[in-house]
Amino acid sequence: MRLLDYLNDRLGFTGRHRRILDRPVPKGINYFTCFGGITFTLFLTLVLTGLLLSLHYTPAEADAYKSIQRLHREVPLGTFIRAAHHWAGNLMVVMIVLHMLRVFVTGSYKSPRELHWVAGSFLLLLTLSFGFTGYLLPWDQKAYWATVIGTNMVESVPFIGSFLASLVRGGAEVSGQTLLRFYSMHILWLPVLIAVFLWMHFHMIRRTGITGGM
Amino acid sequence: MRTTKSDKTFFPYYFFEITVIALFTIEAVLILAVLFPPAIGREIDFSAQFSPRPEWYFLFLYELTKFFPGKWTFVGAVLLPGIGFSVLLLAPFLDSGGERSLKKRPVAAAVGFGLLASVIGLTMLSLL
Repeated sequence: MRLLDYLNDRLGFTGRHRRILDRPVPKGINYFTCFGGITFTLFLTLVLTGLLLSLHYTPAEADAYKSIQRLHREVPLGTFIRAAHHWAGNLMVVMIVLHMLRVFVTGSYKSPRELHWVAGSFLLLLTLSFGFTGYLLPWDQKAYWATVIGTNMVESVPFIGSFLASLVRGGAEVSGQTLLRFYSMHILWLPVLIAVFLWMHFHMIRRTGITGGM
Repeated sequence: MRTTKSDKTFFPYYFFEITVIALFTIEAVLILAVLFPPAIGREIDFSAQFSPRPEWYFLFLYELTKFFPGKWTFVGAVLLPGIGFSVLLLAPFLDSGGERSLKKRPVAAAVGFGLLASVIGLTMLSLL
């Protein structure tokens, strides 16, 4: 344990652990309280499988579809990793809805926890953005035309619609530029943003604790 | 705040349960991944527009836009979802009374479940 003591003197991590681990848990909580934690578990699964997928994916117009085919046919466990990413993403949306429903029904977003809910609403929006941008990446028939419809919806905004749509697409139409843009969003911009909002969400819940006695 | 403190601490009591639930969650993902993997899609054919179906959690939005054709697209695509999201975002400020029990928050319950029912309803409509 000398190594642990050495590190602890310099990093002081046991103090931090003890604060979290020794925290008393309110009475009367039940398994409905777990939905948020399950959502986070799925998020971590998505990070891990996403990191693995990024090793084999090419975000370019001519190669994206081929790289998915290669992933399925040549990469060991390729289909399985993609399937796990797919299912964790779908289940994450389900669990977020259940988590929000639980918080709503028990009125847990009330003072002093209003901002927990606000940060959580942004997390929902970010998760859906992950879903939308990720849907294009296989660059197949379904992905392409769904993105055409989705970005046309952005175009319907009065006055600034065509500007917003070209910002999202990286041009007047869905093209290889859109693919690169969605890829960048999906693996860089959105993860950074969601990390910030997750930190806020968790920091606040650690400060106030969860509501007890359902 | 009615936070009745129990004598149980997070570690090890709840830590154990949370670990078990996290493992079940990952297991569910792995089982679904083995049983129902997504297929490789068809290659893009720019000449033939085919009607795609968005991911299931966007179906309600897709269905909503069908009610507002032409120059009204904006209402279904941006305005109504925007209002819906704003209500969701501001829920704790709109529903700010001291009562936590849903039975004593009839307006909040009506609005909340109304919103949920319309999203579910539109999704079902789109699946028909």
